[in-house]
Amino acid sequence: MQLYPLKLVTVVGESVIMEDIAEEGMKLGATGFTMSEVSGHGSRSARNVASTTGAQTMKVEFVVPADIATSILTHVSHQYFEDYAVIAWLGDVQVVRGQQYVK
Amino acid sequence: MMVFAMAMLPVWAVITGEQASRILESLERNLLTPIPLCFVLGIICTRIHGGIKIPKELYYSIAIFLLMSIGFMGGHELAHEYEAHGVSTIWKPALATLFLGCLTPITSYLVLHYVGRLSIADSAGIAAHYGSTSAVTYAVANSFVEQTQHPANSFLPTLVTILECPGIAIALIVGATLSARERAAKAAASGRPAKESKLGEALYEVITGQSIMLMAGLLLIGFISTMFMDSKSFQPFYDFFQSKGMLFRGVLCIFLLEMGLVAGEKLGDLLKVGPFLIAFGILMPLAHGFVAAYLGHAAGLNLGGCTVFAAIVSSASYIAAPPAVRLTLPEANPTLSITAALAITFPFNIAFGIPIYYEMAKWVGAQ
Repeated sequence: MQLYPLKLVTVVGESVIMEDIAEEGMKLGATGFTMSEVSGHGSRSARNVASTTGAQTMKVEFVVPADIATSILTHVSHQYFEDYAVIAWLGDVQVVRGQQYVK
Repeated sequence: MMVFAMAMLPVWAVITGEQASRILESLERNLLTPIPLCFVLGIICTRIHGGIKIPKELYYSIAIFLLMSIGFMGGHELAHEYEAHGVSTIWKPALATLFLGCLTPITSYLVLHYVGRLSIADSAGIAAHYGSTSAVTYAVANSFVEQTQHPANSFLPTLVTILECPGIAIALIVGATLSARERAAKAAASGRPAKESKLGEALYEVITGQSIMLMAGLLLIGFISTMFMDSKSFQPFYDFFQSKGMLFRGVLCIFLLEMGLVAGEKLGDLLKVGPFLIAFGILMPLAHGFVAAYLGHAAGLNLGGCTVFAAIVSSASYIAAPPAVRLTLPEANPTLSITAALAITFPFNIAFGIPIYYEMAKWVGAQ
């Protein structure tokens, strides 16, 4: 079985902006994303307000090549870090059927 | 309680002893009923770390039922009103609603920014909450006037739907326009391109949001089905949705219990928001409520109608407005607006506001 080395970009933040982040990640070259409702506490999480579905904090994950991972992180940090409760990180992953994640 | 009594001082100063005793009587009649008592139970439970927990899915299911019911019954009654009088009785209250929907965010903004010295974003964010309305406050006010044997005019749910959008839109447009200058200056100073505004997206989400889609959609469905169905086949739908029915009143108790649990959590934030916002959360609704009772009476609403109209105009949105404000005015502090709407104005209206609006409506001559 062949494994492909790719990057996992994880963004956790206020539910009101997460759908936008997923959409913008796709525009920047991701081929898909996973979104889930999560709970937790952080230094700015008091700022969270519930979205219409009631979720307060959400997580969106992208499996992408390194260059796209960098552009997603740059975009998220520029557009959202100053005003919203949001955190993003990058990890190395070994992916089965990894060729699907490269456009 | 002390803050409330102090904030009410100007109101107590202009009413006579007889009026005061009538208000107290109305308060008693309102407070000692299951709906506000369930709200109080929720607050007490949170404060003593009690074990009541309403599943989130149930809360959202009830919200859907309440919105559908308000819309459907509104459409049903609107059809009867239309058959009896055409649009002659409806257009004036509808116009008054639109006017107040545009006025309340502006008065709120001016008071918050110039009297309270809050920032542009915070003032506009809070004004968006107070410009819109709370459907649950409508439901509780409607139950109150039905208990007093003065049911409101049948088309009040139509007015709730009209009131939902313009207030949020105006406050957001004012806030976004004024704070865009600050943001552009900041971006120029830091040498980075300005961030894109999400005003259009937020306004679209308000207009196509759950509250409007369910209320306006069911209003249309109720109207059409009343016009075209025979009354026997219509009866089961009427029994399910009717606001005097046991289902509506019962689930409203569960909803208010959950609201009490949430408001109880927010009570701790009262210390953070300060005395100005506490006074604002009580006095602004009273001022808006009085203007609404007066205009409602001038537009031809009955006593129950004026009371409910005052309650919806004075109430603050806490479902549709918060995400829209968060998207458009991210620099506004949501603790201020949500605490004011949910922990000050909502409990005030449920417990004291509605009976006071009832007396105001009587005072302006509504019958």
